[in-house]
This record gives sequence, C-alpha cells and structure tokens, in this order.
Amino acid sequence: MKYILMMNTMKAGHGVPAWPKKDLQAHIAFMMGLNKELHQRGELVSAEGLSFPDQAKLVRAGKDGRPITDGVFPESKEFLAGFWIVDVDSPERAYAIAAQISAAPGPGGAPLNMPIELRPVMSAPPQEML
Amino acid sequence: MKYILLMSGTRAGVAGYHAWSKHDIDAHMAVLHRINQDLTASGEFVATQGLADPGEAKVVRGEKNGMPVTDGIFPESKEFLLGYWIVDVANAERAYAIAAQICTAPGPGGKPTNMPIEVRQFATHASKSQ
Repeated sequence: MKYILMMNTMKAGHGVPAWPKKDLQAHIAFMMGLNKELHQRGELVSAEGLSFPDQAKLVRAGKDGRPITDGVFPESKEFLAGFWIVDVDSPERAYAIAAQISAAPGPGGAPLNMPIELRPVMSAPPQEML
Repeated sequence: MKYILLMSGTRAGVAGYHAWSKHDIDAHMAVLHRINQDLTASGEFVATQGLADPGEAKVVRGEKNGMPVTDGIFPESKEFLLGYWIVDVANAERAYAIAAQICTAPGPGGKPTNMPIEVRQFATHASKSQ
C-alpha cells in the first residue's frame, strides 16, 4: 500500500532556515540516511524537496484558457516543503517512517518534532469513474 | 525543470464532488485522462496521483522514544491535497499553461471547475530521487 508523507511549513517564509551550518548538515545527513534506508528496504517510491514558497504560484485559467498566475499568499498558508511516497506493508509502518521524519534533528541536534501529514495514495481512479 | 502541480480542496469540497452526477464525473475524468496522454506524448509527464479521502489522513509526530503518535482530527477548514501532477518542462510558463488546462477540467453541468492549482518547482540543490 502506498502512502504520501507530507512535510508542511506553516509560513510563507523563504530561504534556508538560519541554523548553524553544522545543524543544517546534520539535518540533511539524517534525511539522506533515511532515504537510503527506505530505498534499501524497497519502500521508497520517491522523495522530493520543493523550492521555497516565494517561488510558488497559484494558477487559474482565464476565459480564453490562458493561465492567470498569482504569487501572493497569506502568511498563514501552509506550504508543502517536501514529500515522500512509500510503498509499505501496513499503515503502522508508514506511521513509523513519518515518526522518524518528524524526529529529524534541528538546531542543536534537538528533534524538530515536525507534524507529518500522511495520506493513502490511490493506485488508480476508482473504476466507476473511468 | 521539474514542477509539481498541487490540487487542494477542503473536506466540504470533497463531499460536494461525491454528489456530482456520473455523467459529470465521467466528463471530468475524461479531460484529466486526456491531459495525461498529451503530457506523455510531449515527454513532459513524470507522475500523477490522486490521494484517498481526507477522512483517512493522519498527522504523525515522533515521540521521544521514536514511537509514532497519530492524530486524525482536522478542522473542516483545512485544505487537503487531493492530487498532484509532476511535469518536466522547458520553463515556468509551460508549467502554468498545464495548470490552467487542469483548472478548466469540467465540473457539474460541464462548467470548468476553475480549481486553483498551486505550482511549485522542485528544489534542484537537494533532489533526493533514487
């Protein structure tokens, strides 16, 4: 069963967090180690980080079908910072991976305790909708 | 350049979708299917997924002992990711044009849904694809 684990940031802030370089390196090393472990277990489908919210656009189609872009977001909007798609045997295994991600080290090496939103991925649109 | 096009909605919006007629759902899915075919033909398609109902979503944090703590209760107002497209395109404008196409997929009575699509570029410095 496939799950997507989503790491959201609360604010429309941008840029790398103002952590000491050592702490950032420890954080990135943790994430890379986790991805390697998931890959070796055959559970990793994909993992991506997204660029900072200042580059995000909200797009709608105008009457002529051309895109209308809007780049201004309220400070309170939650932004997706990155995601993992994993293929695991049980929901509990997906929760355990999300907990590992949640505990990634932050400033001073303390666990960030980030909330990770977890959602089952549909393998295909429901048959009755095709 | 890789972009992710995020389609989000509230739980109330998802409930509304379930009330669409079969005819409207068929027409909607047919357009999304054709967009996927077009993107595949142009070599821009990377991936697309729909996510399962928000009722199955969990927010996970890691406790001190590394055990996952799950929380499944979300406010009605929270926006949930419904699905996404990952595309590999020549420029941002092309990503916006695809988002506009998705935005014009037909809803009830064949009228465009006009769903806003959030467009985000992948972080190129730290892509963790395996």
